Amino acid sequence: MSGGSSAFRAAVLEHFRRPRNRGAFDAPSGQADGANPLCGDRVRVQLVVEGSVVTDARFTADACAICVAAASVLTDHVRGLSLGEAVAVDATWVFGALEGEPPSARRRCALLPLDTFKRALVAVGASGR
Amino acid sequence: MPTNLIRPDDPALHDEPVVAVATLVGATGSTSKKLGAKMIVGASGRLVGGVTIGGCVDAQVIEAADALVAGGEAKRFLSISLDDDEAWEIGLTCGGTVDVLLQRVRPRDARDPLVAAHRRAAALVDDGETAVIVTPLDGGDPRTVVEAEAPAPSAGVFLDRVAPPTTLVIVGAGQIAMSLTALARELEMRTIVVDGRERYATRERFPCADDIRVGMPSEVVAEIRHTKRVAVVLVAHDYKYDLPVLRALLRSPVGYIGMLGSKKRGSAVRDMLRDEGYSGDEIARLHSPIGFDLGGRGSAEVALAILSEIVAVQYGKRA
Repeated sequence: MSGGSSAFRAAVLEHFRRPRNRGAFDAPSGQADGANPLCGDRVRVQLVVEGSVVTDARFTADACAICVAAASVLTDHVRGLSLGEAVAVDATWVFGALEGEPPSARRRCALLPLDTFKRALVAVGASGR
Repeated sequence: MPTNLIRPDDPALHDEPVVAVATLVGATGSTSKKLGAKMIVGASGRLVGGVTIGGCVDAQVIEAADALVAGGEAKRFLSISLDDDEAWEIGLTCGGTVDVLLQRVRPRDARDPLVAAHRRAAALVDDGETAVIVTPLDGGDPRTVVEAEAPAPSAGVFLDRVAPPTTLVIVGAGQIAMSLTALARELEMRTIVVDGRERYATRERFPCADDIRVGMPSEVVAEIRHTKRVAVVLVAHDYKYDLPVLRALLRSPVGYIGMLGSKKRGSAVRDMLRDEGYSGDEIARLHSPIGFDLGGRGSAEVALAILSEIVAVQYGKRA
């Protein structure tokens, strides 16, 4: 990982080394897979939704540190959000949670989990866009 | 796929109504092949396999096989000395004897006892089982059993153990992987290429691969049946694949795990795995830097170094 502020680098390394919510549910309410076709990052986001609330979220990833860190902060954040609130999570929130933005060439890495999360919301019936 | 079994779909045998199957069933002294090595000699003169590394011994076997195919004899037993007179005088003999069983077989006839035994063995091996062909040397038909049901070794019975081929799982569909699939085919290994990138893991780039799988590499690798006959090589040179795949493997019974990279990189990966709770013994299973140091840096040379190490590990020449 190169570029980005020192706070960003520290946040990414912390979440890469100790990712929150890494793992899989046996029976999620919905899930989606995401991939960056050129670099090869692969991520899966799974959600448990009860009523209209995201009660739990997990991810699995064979991905770079930035992507893993973004999935980590995102799955932590969305727990307890209503579907409406979850749909509203955007790139600005992700960069804020990571305490900075990655270099432009790595933005796709940071945003792949968000895109995958939005598609997982669609899979559980929420409007993900 | 092992080539030393008579299979119904073997193109080398489809126009051979009768063949002789020569099997190395005993040896003393220094021999170059394992017991069970086979040579198939067709009426047309076709040769498949070999019971020794060649030379005068195989010549004697071929001569006897030709006679067996031409005549009506069902089987013949040869005991051949490796102490060739001329070679002995100039000090170039290995010494010892080899015992070879020759059997006359109709390869397309499923009722032929040896064909039936081989087909059963092939089916078991294709299913991932180790088969044992039990052959009475003094008469009686051969039969095939799974390894767990094999009788104890005894005089007068040859137990031919046929194991499934090594499965080489290659994570990372780059240049080294391309060379690995080509060389592994010669070693009769089954190859599976794994990558998360569809543009890399293509049939066009891997014409020799037995299987190409695109997906999350750690999941793909976890889905493969893990046995000692599985070797996994991480040649993506990318921690994003290396770490998740290693987590999926270090506590599995696969026979070999290797990772491309420098000593420094290997050390860093080991440190991370140690921090995650993997034991010293588990981490010690990782071969990194991968392969023997042959000095070459080209893709094919690195692939050869990797395969050399895998073969050495399989034969207990390297831990």
